[in-house]
Amino acid sequence: MSKLNVTLVSGRTAQQGVGLEEGKTSVSYVNSVNHVQLSPGDAARMKLEEGGAVTVETRHGSVVVHWRSSKELEPGMAFFPYGLWANQVYGYETEGTGMPMFKALDATVAPSKEEVKSMEEMVKSLGGGGK
Amino acid sequence: MTVFTDVVCPFCGCLCDDLEITVEDGHVTQAKNACAISRSKFLNHDKNRLKAPTVDGVEVPLEKAVDAAADILSTSRRPLVYGLSSTECVAIAKAVELAELAGGVIDNTSSVCHGPTILALQQVGESKTTLGEVKNRADLVIFWGSNPSQAHLRHILRYSGMAKGRFVPNGRKDRHIVAVDIKMTGTARMADEFVKVEPNRDFELLQALRAAVRGHEPQAESVAGVSSMKVVELAERMKAARFGIVFFGLGLTQSEGRHMNIDAAVGLVAELNNHTKFLLTPMRGHYNVAGANTVTTWQTGYPYAVDFSRGYPRYNPGEYTSVDMLARGEADSALVMASDPVSTFPAGVARNLAKIPVVTLDHKVTPTTMLSRVVIPVATAGVEAEGTAYRMDGVPLRLRRLVEPAEGVHSDAEVLEMIMGRMKG
Repeated sequence: MSKLNVTLVSGRTAQQGVGLEEGKTSVSYVNSVNHVQLSPGDAARMKLEEGGAVTVETRHGSVVVHWRSSKELEPGMAFFPYGLWANQVYGYETEGTGMPMFKALDATVAPSKEEVKSMEEMVKSLGGGGK
Repeated sequence: MTVFTDVVCPFCGCLCDDLEITVEDGHVTQAKNACAISRSKFLNHDKNRLKAPTVDGVEVPLEKAVDAAADILSTSRRPLVYGLSSTECVAIAKAVELAELAGGVIDNTSSVCHGPTILALQQVGESKTTLGEVKNRADLVIFWGSNPSQAHLRHILRYSGMAKGRFVPNGRKDRHIVAVDIKMTGTARMADEFVKVEPNRDFELLQALRAAVRGHEPQAESVAGVSSMKVVELAERMKAARFGIVFFGLGLTQSEGRHMNIDAAVGLVAELNNHTKFLLTPMRGHYNVAGANTVTTWQTGYPYAVDFSRGYPRYNPGEYTSVDMLARGEADSALVMASDPVSTFPAGVARNLAKIPVVTLDHKVTPTTMLSRVVIPVATAGVEAEGTAYRMDGVPLRLRRLVEPAEGVHSDAEVLEMIMGRMKG
């Protein structure tokens, strides 16, 4: 299977909370947000390599991240912890409410040979850094 | 060695107020009663700190950084003041004052968390309660689109689940807990009942429950992936409760329907009050986001998304909310305090933030400080600076100063006062 269609949900995790209080530049924080979580069944079906990378894509953008398996998820659903990496695939339309859609987006997940960008590279890709 | 008791935790909207913090030689060495996140906050408060004020990435004396910040904010036509939710109330009031002085827009993080909740509650009202009442009385607790097992780690322990209360003396045994979610979360696993709703279909399920409470059985076999039999059963359980509460989270505010989901939840709770006592409370994330709404309201009349460009406050979420302001490329400068919008906004708007001069007040290095023109390190409220914060239920609690900030590091409120002093000339 080259590409998996999923419903993508984002949210907070306790690991992210612990990491961000250590500091956003800490390894613990970066590892808590630069991955997407997939159901064990989907990961097996896609024959994803342990520790490998995947490309998550929506109509708003795409990003290369690590993947983890989560028993909380059923096949067809993926979970992205809030953060710089997840933000690449969310749009900014708020339909007059101020709130973008961060939950239940149609997305695809595919194996990737690319490297997962570091936090500094992500900030640079936004046009920032070194200012 | 000093041990501070009854310390309030400045992390999430629970504001747990039973912490015991040990300080040795100006460093926190122990945090008793704290959850994993809280412990990380206290024990790591001096790690990854911003070392000095910077302008264009170059370290400068504080006065220079304050001058640069004042110049940016005084000379821009549409400054945006954003963040506010992870600091204390006086700093928030100062930020409102600064936004008025600059003729800018002020917004807080609720615009990307419970902003839709506020929109709905302004339309249809709210039946409120305190977490103390929940602890002492609630025998039916519903977590809808919220997962305290990951985000509010002691909520279930202290207030809504295990806690023994006056009318629920056996604690967990006396409470029935329901989790409504799109996936089997940690909260759903510990609940007595898990109701799995299809993504983006909460509105339908809430309306079906409301109809069932009124005595109308759903015609369809299932609603939003939940069997009609289950809908009726849950409605009956809600009516039979002595004291029920819905704790709802971003599962409702950030999915399709947004504020209309909350409107439906309030409607359901209002309907239930024809039968019993039923309430709802948003699970607020940042520890003082409720304070950001409260202070902005008492200062301007509105809780977020407030524009001062005409010299008086105007309110229009969807227009003066930060994501919209940045998406349109309208803001030509920004002051960010106690928040990291680059990590929380969609990349499309973070790119627009990177194009304008940004002044950031924070205690640690973040992606937002990385792309800010002016960065000013501040004391951590609740650890190095005192003040007041509002719990998720609207109860104000006092934050303590446990250790001295590093030399030359001031509180958010003090730094804002300095910037305003320079803006006034």
